Amino acid sequence: MPLDHRRLRGPDESQPPELWAAQPRDGGGGEAEESGAAPRDPCALRPLFARAGLLSQAEGSAYVELSGGTKVLCAAWGPREAAEPGGAVAAGRLLCDFRRAPFCARGARPRPGGAAEREAEREAAAALREALEPAVRLSRYPRARLAVSALLLQDGGSALAAAISAASLALADAGVEMYDLAVGCALCRPPRGDGDGDGSAAEPWLLQPGEAEERGSAARLTVALLPALNQVSAVLGGGRGGEPEGWGRALRLGVEGCQRLYPVLRHCLLRAARRRDGA
Amino acid sequence: MASVVLSDAEKLYIIHGVQEDLRVDGRGCEDYRCAEVETDVVSNTSGSARVKLGHTDILVGVKAEMGTPKLEKPDEGYLEFFVDCSANATPEFEGRGGEELGTEIASTLYRIFSSEGSVDLKSLCINPGEHCWVLYVDVLNDQICTTAECFNNPSHQFSGAWQSLIGSKVLVLRNHTGTFCYQLLECGGNLFDAISITVKAALFNTRIPKVRVLEDEEGSKEIELSDDPYDCIRLNVEDVPCIVTLNKIGYRHVVDATLQEEACSLASLLIAITSKGALTCMKKIGKGSLDPESIFEMMETGKKVGKSLHASLQKVLDEEESLGTTRQKVGFLG
Repeated sequence: MPLDHRRLRGPDESQPPELWAAQPRDGGGGEAEESGAAPRDPCALRPLFARAGLLSQAEGSAYVELSGGTKVLCAAWGPREAAEPGGAVAAGRLLCDFRRAPFCARGARPRPGGAAEREAEREAAAALREALEPAVRLSRYPRARLAVSALLLQDGGSALAAAISAASLALADAGVEMYDLAVGCALCRPPRGDGDGDGSAAEPWLLQPGEAEERGSAARLTVALLPALNQVSAVLGGGRGGEPEGWGRALRLGVEGCQRLYPVLRHCLLRAARRRDGA
Repeated sequence: MASVVLSDAEKLYIIHGVQEDLRVDGRGCEDYRCAEVETDVVSNTSGSARVKLGHTDILVGVKAEMGTPKLEKPDEGYLEFFVDCSANATPEFEGRGGEELGTEIASTLYRIFSSEGSVDLKSLCINPGEHCWVLYVDVLNDQICTTAECFNNPSHQFSGAWQSLIGSKVLVLRNHTGTFCYQLLECGGNLFDAISITVKAALFNTRIPKVRVLEDEEGSKEIELSDDPYDCIRLNVEDVPCIVTLNKIGYRHVVDATLQEEACSLASLLIAITSKGALTCMKKIGKGSLDPESIFEMMETGKKVGKSLHASLQKVLDEEESLGTTRQKVGFLG
């Protein structure tokens, strides 16, 4: 990328001030977080706003926002002829793209196209594809490709989960044949409520964590569910080790969360269809 | 991923077999194939290991280099992973095909090792904020994948011959029950598990030279390398997790699937298990979806299998270690 000389450039080596500011603030910030976290119901879902069919250029589109500032915009393009015919591969292909806006996260703006950034985007795109593929009837689109692109405008936690929901809404809005909507839901385990000792009785996993909770978490999990079929289409998680039972409980909690989000998304699709009929 | 073309009848045969807890190569659903593990195979590295799991052949080299610690963690070293799926393995890896799979595997490895406690990163720190050891872990996949030539070839004699030929040189890891010891049964399959085993073995083998930081009166620091080449630090790999991939076939799931079995499976669950049975990472891979109940079952199986996998791997590594320098290396000719 050519250097932009109009931009005021910092010195070659610089460090974000948060690194140095964090230490003294840690006590105060931790307390503030604790007081905020204490009354939080671990099973509470963040209010979700979804709207389908808002981009005029794309065949299908959706916007999902979680309260607390996660904003994802998705566009889907219906079947096109595949660029390289897969030969024996009869089923269609689903191409997924996931982009993070340069200003989406806290802290310094990452250089767009940086290696780490690209790697993270590619991993998220792969996760998105894994989650959506079981939902789409790809066998109905032989030798064709479907494309979905997700743009994360603001990362306020649970971004991948929101992107999965938005992308499946966009695909449905584009009129792609699907078995079901894929609904995403994220969870995280705060570091204190370690699942291996006495804390295992209490449910340490939090549903749909915010950005602060996600940053300080010991483990994270993203689940995607096809609610009508009761099939899990994506599981992606990692972090500090815990008993498989604890992860199982988290999965169950996540699946339940997806079930609760499902009516909201369905309603949004209906509204979009009505609006289109009215227009 | 590398794939084989199977007819519907062949698939049905495998699926029905799995239903009866009997797989094409005679294993049960929770049995691993025999694996060969050899460490210290490449002398230019700080640590290396080679694992042959069936026809999946993985070589991992670890190089320790000095670097600057990351800003967020000034008192820790870090690991870098690079996975190369060479076109030797299958023609599909040619060009960009291998790259995609390589980055997927690398990102899974990062995910596993990013959890604190898998490796003691603090021990890699030399001088907080200034110098640390960076371990470059390079994974090479040399899987020789021929056609189904060795498919369905219970080469008992072959495996016997191999073992007598190599004697104590290659240690044969008998996983799980150890009742089945087939070698060269089928081609490929189960890349993730094999890679994680190899990475663990290579990290176990890794020796990092000891350095001291000398500070003179003016505060300028100097790094001094120990004169004794055997004076080195070892990594504690006890908490390094291994990946267990559980492939859903029909109504059941199998571990250590071969390529043929992978072709019959629509979805699989990949979990990383430490030797204590803690789960550090899980991920669904594949085109299909899974029933929630079956995921719970798979996690249970994964924990059980993972624990025994760790136990046998550790045993083999210790055994090889105890042979010391008297061990004759087999290398790539074995």
